[in-house]
Amino acid sequence: MHQPLALQPLAPNDSTDILAIANNPVLWICVAGVFGVIIIQSVIFMKAARRAAPSADMSAQDIKTSFRSGAVSAIGPSLAVSLVAIALLGLFGAPAVLSRIGLIGSAAYDVSAAGIAAGSMGAKLGDASYTQSVFAVAFFAMSIGGAMWMLATLILTPLLRKGDAKIRSVNPAAMAIVPAAALIGAFSCLGLTELPKSGIHVLSFVVSAAVMGTCLLLAKKLGKSWLREWGLGISIVIGLGAAYLAVGA
Amino acid sequence: MSSITSAPTTNNTAMADFNRTTSRWGQITMIAGLLISVAGPLYLVFATGLDIGPAQLWIAFAAVAATFGIIWIVEPLTYYPILGPAAMYQAFMIGNISNKLLPAALIAQTNIGAKPGSKRAELAAVVAICGAAVVHLISLAIFVGLLGSWLISVIPPSVLLVTRLYVLPTVLGAVLVQAIVSMKQPRTTVFALLVSAVVVFVVLPLVPSLAMVSTAIAVLGTILLAWFFRGKSTIAEAKPIHIE
Repeated sequence: MHQPLALQPLAPNDSTDILAIANNPVLWICVAGVFGVIIIQSVIFMKAARRAAPSADMSAQDIKTSFRSGAVSAIGPSLAVSLVAIALLGLFGAPAVLSRIGLIGSAAYDVSAAGIAAGSMGAKLGDASYTQSVFAVAFFAMSIGGAMWMLATLILTPLLRKGDAKIRSVNPAAMAIVPAAALIGAFSCLGLTELPKSGIHVLSFVVSAAVMGTCLLLAKKLGKSWLREWGLGISIVIGLGAAYLAVGA
Repeated sequence: MSSITSAPTTNNTAMADFNRTTSRWGQITMIAGLLISVAGPLYLVFATGLDIGPAQLWIAFAAVAATFGIIWIVEPLTYYPILGPAAMYQAFMIGNISNKLLPAALIAQTNIGAKPGSKRAELAAVVAICGAAVVHLISLAIFVGLLGSWLISVIPPSVLLVTRLYVLPTVLGAVLVQAIVSMKQPRTTVFALLVSAVVVFVVLPLVPSLAMVSTAIAVLGTILLAWFFRGKSTIAEAKPIHIE
């Protein structure tokens, strides 16, 4: 009766069974916590808006219309985000995907942060070097990245409210050029880093990029903005389809 | 702040009450969201017997900060004029701002005929984001939490393996095109691709130990080139930095 504890094997650090730790109950509790916080916030904000409505010439009907408009217009984008999230389930597991890609962050930033973090440990997401430890550090990097966005919001919002003019008058040319350069630089480097890994990586990358280009072009030409929302999901699915065919061939 | 208003005092106190409530509770809920979201990975790192030192976490953090640190600060700055203070606390916690929350707010404002910048517009945006949040949470819970988890358990292992191996290049291929198209800065794009190609195909094969900071090098290089060779007709206004 006293034996079993000692007989239990220690958690192996080099295990690549990501989903075993990615579905840890504590992570599910944290996801539920984030959901709960957003629900509480929405309830408080709704009540505050209702109270303030009469003073802003807003009728109860206006409130209802606004709520419904927001809800209806979010259906398409929410489903599009869900498709992207499902595609990433195998890589990160449901709790990480729900809290990072679904909420707080977005696919682009969080997948990038995970890739950068894995790289800092000399590992690559998805292959044999993607151990439980790499997943934990990658998940930490995604989360701390999201936390920094929130921290910046917490610090900047009160400052902007007090004297927005001063902070917003930062050199406009710098504000236009530097962030765009940082974003395109980051994503082009991360993207090109995938190419030397294998021929199928090149194929997946090129197919997905081409599909996204086509979606954006059609969205503009035909005026169909849903193609813009669904672009990422469609590109991932078709890119993965191409990879699957290439692996089988 | 607004000393020049003809509105009766009661209206001012009502809006002041709204500002106070959303500001206080926006901060409290956001801090709670921040702590809970970081608690999960920290638990994994320190309480599950994985052998990870603090140094590895700091290095990973530094690598991410070197890549996205500027965006962390610039995004809130550029979204503030559009969202207003109250919605800031909603938007940066719920996420997917540009593709979901902004359209939701704009459509609501149009549907009730609220003038941009007015109090009605501000309230409509907050209420619309609440509506969007409800839909988003429900669809995530059903399609990703329930359906997705079931899907993972039934799809063949070969498909799961392909997904794991190749989902990264498909995400990054699409996101790169998105970033290039939404930024509309051809000159910067050329610099970014050139610098990245040099880093990935020349520098890294020669000095593999730089892999850890390769993205940071590419980001810094692109910023410097884009800044020093910027066009004469510089962009007049700072637009929200986002990927469509």
